[in-house]
Amino acid sequence: MNWTCEQTELRLSDYLDGLLTAAEQKEFDAHVNSCARCTPLVSSVTQALSGLHSLAQVEPPPRLVYNILDKTLGPRETVTGWKAILAWFRAFNPQRLAYGGVSLCAMFLVFASFTGFSWKKPRAADLSPVNVYRGADRQAHLVYARSAKFVSDLRVVYEIQSRLQRTEDLPGSQDSTAPQPAPSDKNPGSTDGSGPASPKQQNRANDLASHSIVLAAACPSCWEGRIR
Amino acid sequence: MEQDVQLVQQCLQGDGSAWEELVRQHNRRVFNICYRFTGNRTEAEDLTQDVFLRIYKTLGSYRAIHGGFATWMTSVTRNLLIDHYRRTKRDRATDSLDDAMPVVENKESSAKRPDEQALLGELSGQVQTALTKLSPELREAVILRDLQQLEYGEIQKVLAVPEGTVKSRINRGRIELARILQQMGVRPA
Repeated sequence: MNWTCEQTELRLSDYLDGLLTAAEQKEFDAHVNSCARCTPLVSSVTQALSGLHSLAQVEPPPRLVYNILDKTLGPRETVTGWKAILAWFRAFNPQRLAYGGVSLCAMFLVFASFTGFSWKKPRAADLSPVNVYRGADRQAHLVYARSAKFVSDLRVVYEIQSRLQRTEDLPGSQDSTAPQPAPSDKNPGSTDGSGPASPKQQNRANDLASHSIVLAAACPSCWEGRIR
Repeated sequence: MEQDVQLVQQCLQGDGSAWEELVRQHNRRVFNICYRFTGNRTEAEDLTQDVFLRIYKTLGSYRAIHGGFATWMTSVTRNLLIDHYRRTKRDRATDSLDDAMPVVENKESSAKRPDEQALLGELSGQVQTALTKLSPELREAVILRDLQQLEYGEIQKVLAVPEGTVKSRINRGRIELARILQQMGVRPA
């Protein structure tokens, strides 16, 4: 079967919508690829179709719905006077209002506590702007000082830990760097003093001794205080 | 679809909120069909109001067994658009181009204000202009198929013509649209 230009034109939408059978599609393609008249036709219609598909949905004007409702259901009733005020209050969602009120109270409590307001002996003077400012300032400084101290303490602990780690990692550090304990008849780690300690116990005792010395070097005042 | 049927039932029982819900759900679709058909926002807005007024008055004649509410509503929209087209065509001063080119309409009303044209993208604006130059039969078929993405069966119900005619109109509409775009200087990429 020889596919003609008329067939191409008639079946163009079927081609574009993917409704041609495999055999028809094959003949269609073969004809279009070799026909100087049909190639630009298919190309231009394909482009027109993609232009159509690219048209975005248009948003109707917001007043349209109200205009339609006014035309069909009639104009909405306009309420005046006390009824309008009541309707205005009714428009508020009581649940949302309650949430808002609770959030506001919670925020006030937190803020008052932060500024140093005494709940046991409440005074009106505590709520004056100057006192509130002073209280907040004092609390802020206090929090800052506590934070600084906490960070400093953490730094000391990490320093000690890293030194201990370094001591452990150095080969032969126990013999060369750490000072030797005073000679004694009793081996450290031995329980009864009758016999020599096992190698495992001896090693642990040696570790403890070297750690104590490093700790003493890192934090002499603390260490001395502990010993005394 | 079932929700629409339920809302229609409630409307017929006098429920205003159900009608409001129907209007809110479908006004965008009707407005878009009207806008693409006329190419003018103000006209589309007025026509959308008229469509819903007609739907409100004839809601009792809707039967769910004959198809979905959206299809019925599209059918009402289409009928009103054709009425509007005929009415405005009589009002307009027609020139001889209508007789010379029966398929292509020389539609002066499709000329948009500069701000409207600026709002549209260049190609989108050209496609919209070309669309309003198609004859109403081809234009409505192309709008329903390629812009509203309706199936052939649904278009057949809306236009109340055989499926072969629907296919033929869509095909001719697309080819004609491509030809108008070429005349406007839009070349295939």
